[in-house]
Amino acid sequence: MEGFLGGLAILLDPWVMFMVLLGTVLGIFVGALPGISGSTTIALMLPLTITMGPIPAICFLGAIYCAANFGGSITAIMVNAPGDPSASATALEGYKMAEKGQAGLALGMSAVSSAIGGIFSIFVLIIAAPLLARAAYSFGPPEYFALAVFGLSMCAAIGGDSAVKNLIAAALGVLLATVGMDLTTGTERFAFGIDELADGIKFVPVLIGLFAVGEMLDQVVRRAEKSKIIALDAARVPGMAEFRKCNRSIWLGSVIGTFIGALPALGATTAALIGYNETRRWSKHKEEFGKGSIEGVAGPEAANNAAVGGSMVPTLALGIPGSATTAIILAGLIVQGVRPGPHLFTEQPTLLYAVFASMLAANLFYLGLGLYMARFFARISLIPPAILWPSVFVLSIIGAYGPDQSMGDVVIMLVAGVVGFLFRRTGFSPAPLIMGLVLGGKMEETLKQSLIIFGDDVSMFATRPIAMTLLCITAAGLLWPLISRFWRSRGA
Amino acid sequence: MRGARNPNHAIAASIAAVAFAAIAATFTFDPVPPGLPGLGAVEFPRLVSAILLLLALILGLTAASSANEDDSPRISSRAWLIFALCLGFLPLVEIIGMIPAIPIFLLVAGLLWGGTPWLTLALSALGMGISIWLVFVKIFRLTLPKGWLGSMLGF
Repeated sequence: MEGFLGGLAILLDPWVMFMVLLGTVLGIFVGALPGISGSTTIALMLPLTITMGPIPAICFLGAIYCAANFGGSITAIMVNAPGDPSASATALEGYKMAEKGQAGLALGMSAVSSAIGGIFSIFVLIIAAPLLARAAYSFGPPEYFALAVFGLSMCAAIGGDSAVKNLIAAALGVLLATVGMDLTTGTERFAFGIDELADGIKFVPVLIGLFAVGEMLDQVVRRAEKSKIIALDAARVPGMAEFRKCNRSIWLGSVIGTFIGALPALGATTAALIGYNETRRWSKHKEEFGKGSIEGVAGPEAANNAAVGGSMVPTLALGIPGSATTAIILAGLIVQGVRPGPHLFTEQPTLLYAVFASMLAANLFYLGLGLYMARFFARISLIPPAILWPSVFVLSIIGAYGPDQSMGDVVIMLVAGVVGFLFRRTGFSPAPLIMGLVLGGKMEETLKQSLIIFGDDVSMFATRPIAMTLLCITAAGLLWPLISRFWRSRGA
Repeated sequence: MRGARNPNHAIAASIAAVAFAAIAATFTFDPVPPGLPGLGAVEFPRLVSAILLLLALILGLTAASSANEDDSPRISSRAWLIFALCLGFLPLVEIIGMIPAIPIFLLVAGLLWGGTPWLTLALSALGMGISIWLVFVKIFRLTLPKGWLGSMLGF
């Protein structure tokens, strides 16, 4: 509690508070823009945060993450075009409500349920993250290796075209993480005499390329037309009757979202889809679903925002990203010289509690902004793509060039952009590649350390119960589709 | 009649080629002094490449998702022009510098994209160029490339 009060005190610093407010407004803004997700924006903003110092930087990025999920619901409801992938479930019922003339109510419920889900998950984060970190004190290299393998295996369920493609992308990310100097032997790997590769693949240009430029190139091919907006008077706070109707959906979504978010790799989009399905399953008004159900807005919105706090639990406590966006935030922390993991709780508790407090503040900010400025944010989707996407490209160039002022990084960013574009065209998701890139170094390092501890005897992993359990869960999860197919064929 | 081609085969072959290339590249790494404990520099990349090969094999044996092809529209000639313009941005920066190149790029890319009046594009391109100069050069003190022209004019 003392630490949290310390975090709140830091938040009262006008500069930090300004960064949280700026992050919230920017998060809603980009969340409302179809095509630009929170992860793209955080990747684009990463270079700007380098000069800020760790606390304002992480508060700024955390606020964008919180607000972008909510921002996505505005255009999902108003134009049936989810601004953020996590709002795709909201569009199912929200747009139908808007067509019935209930856009204001849908936006109001979206803002309130998002804030409830977000705040609930932050309290879970405040309680669970230190507990998890304390448990992780007993972790050694074998446990961390097993955890990294488990985290990467969860990429299979991240969404996209197929689980195998997600695993391939994750493995490619791990392979990319081996580029540069091997720290234990001093051997240069896959650098091919290129100076920019000798120190390893830099996170910032790759993140910007994969997310921002890859998406921009994809939009060039699709050349999306301007959206048509539904008339809206104002978002309105839901009344008691509506709250009573949605009460169960909001809490169900909050719990599901926090749990899904806390699992490595799975983020807000998965949480929202599961939240929507479970809301429908447990609803007393199933007949309203598909025709504009307010519960169908409340459940997924609570879930996708609850996933934000949930995904920060493993990110901060273990250094294992809970989602693609937290993988980028993790990269941002590493760039700032902060190494997430259990020791962060003893070494830099102020930073952690400032993050918690800033996320709480961001939730309250977007609740206010969402209720009173929804009409303004809904108009964001009217920005012509011919202005928006070339601007994204220019900002990507500056973002990649900025940190080291190197045109070589711009070239790496462009290559990553082409890879991101090809990924999208062939049904791959760039998120697992980022997870692999972030976790790859840790995975190799802990495997090497484990083998030194075990005297090169791999079977010694069996003597470490936590590591063995995690590896068994990973194996079971990966083999489950084969096992279930086998049982089904026997049953038939 | 021949059946529809499975795009997964081509993707799997590309992934396998990357994995084979990575394994081949590990043979070019400098040798590690003997006697070091644990894994050397080559084992981990080879292990990951072997996993990639296995996954590529599984992908090659998997039927393609029907949604995948519908989601990938053909690349139009206009899209190719915008791609070329993106590539051309870097040489343009080398010649005239980053700040002057930005409005030119934004205007031409916007015109190629279509659907927005040229005056709106020109004004927004100019506004974006000025905003970037204010934020990155004046506030964040970032030194953006001045290009051959900027150096010649002494900016």
